[in-house]
Amino acid sequence: MRSLVVVAALVALAGCGGGGEDDDLVVFAASSLNGIADEIDPAADVVFAGSNDLAAQIRDGAAAGVFLSASAKPLEELRDMGLVEEPVVFATNRLVLIVPAENTAAVTHLHDLTRAGVKLVLGADGVPIGDYARASLELAGLGAALENVVSLEEDVKGVVGKIALGEADAGIVYATDVHAADVRSIPISEHFQPKIRYYAAIVSPGSDGARRYLERLLGVEGEAALRGAGFLAAPS
Amino acid sequence: MSRLFQLVLAAALVATVTFLALPVLAIFLRVPPGDLVAQLGEERARNALLISLKTSLIAHAFILLVGTPAAYVLANRSFRGRSAVVSLLELPLVLPPAVAGLGLLAAFGRSGLLGGQLGVLGLHIPFTQVAVVLAVCFVASPFYFRSALSAFEAVDPALLGAARTLGAGPFRVFRRVALPLALPGLGAGSTLAFARGLGEFGATIMFAGSLPGRTQTAPLAIYDALDEEFDVALALGALLVLVSAALLLAAKLVPLWTRSNSPSTTLSVPSAFR
Repeated sequence: MRSLVVVAALVALAGCGGGGEDDDLVVFAASSLNGIADEIDPAADVVFAGSNDLAAQIRDGAAAGVFLSASAKPLEELRDMGLVEEPVVFATNRLVLIVPAENTAAVTHLHDLTRAGVKLVLGADGVPIGDYARASLELAGLGAALENVVSLEEDVKGVVGKIALGEADAGIVYATDVHAADVRSIPISEHFQPKIRYYAAIVSPGSDGARRYLERLLGVEGEAALRGAGFLAAPS
Repeated sequence: MSRLFQLVLAAALVATVTFLALPVLAIFLRVPPGDLVAQLGEERARNALLISLKTSLIAHAFILLVGTPAAYVLANRSFRGRSAVVSLLELPLVLPPAVAGLGLLAAFGRSGLLGGQLGVLGLHIPFTQVAVVLAVCFVASPFYFRSALSAFEAVDPALLGAARTLGAGPFRVFRRVALPLALPGLGAGSTLAFARGLGEFGATIMFAGSLPGRTQTAPLAIYDALDEEFDVALALGALLVLVSAALLLAAKLVPLWTRSNSPSTTLSVPSAFR
């Protein structure tokens, strides 16, 4: 909601040319794809925002050619309304446990999160990274860890920041979000990974430019850009 | 030409009033009053309001208890570097709240300046209500301190001197002469500081985090509810508008009221010293 206005402004700018045409393709991409979606086709105008906000814009008739969403739900709704073509998975992501470089609480495994006194920071309810993290803890049978939560942040940056400063002992974020030097990331077992998939769909009616963009995203260019940023290729 | 100027002036005034009033009005137009009250009954809204009220009141008690004597001392002493000290105490007024949050973390955080010593004492401040109180104190106290300082400075030193020659001890001079005379200014400053503390956001979210039922104050709850429960956010926002408006009104009325009722009138202070 809060970024709708920003999105609207960007769309107004990006959509000035009219969309649809090959030479001014507009791509709507989830914020976490920053640095990737704009690499695929340097000529395309890419608008980054939360997937839900972007979906709302497409419902309102925004002139996007391709929509890259960080979760299935917004795209499925658009597809059911006939606004986008069938979505395809183009990347997956994983969760990691992050701890401060000093790791004073000696957290080395998800199980440590239930230990009394461990300060855990997660995303808030309804914030995707928070919901995924809770799903992961549930898969691991570690619901008790929620007792140790000291702060629920509105975005990934909030979680990483609290850990990087050493104020909290552990957090759970996407593997692709860990860049800070003072944060150590600890892999989470495959069994406790919720399905985090990124979907792409062509906004109806599809243009040639949009199709070419999608081909590139699913081809070697896309794979290289995604892998470079730490994403995993789509399961085929 | 003068007609044009008049027009420009009028247009500027209309633009200013519209621009400043519109967002405030819009909050109330978005939620029907009935829904507003219902949303405030929601657990998260209620918790946030209680936490806001509790932490603001505690912080305010500290601000008054420490700020009043501190302002009194500074008002009655002149020493080298006095204006530097005053400026330093006023700095949080103009400091971006995010910087205040950073500073509090750097000072009282676990890996902060005093973090080690506090840790030895078993005190962990970040993510607690103590952190919320500290954040509120830090950003709100200068509002009170500034008013208190000018209120005490406006007290005629001759009156304090007269009280002393009549045999009053320092505490009695403070309590019976300086304090009643400064009361209107103290009241106005106190109200503004309370309002600023109640609205504290930036320093709190950085230093105390945001956990519903523990450290999530009303402004933090608004931010949290924004993406999913917009109505809760609006209801809390509307309530804060009302509270802030009441506080502002109080800040304007308190000086008038105390002026006509306070014992200061019996001292017949020359008006120039008020």
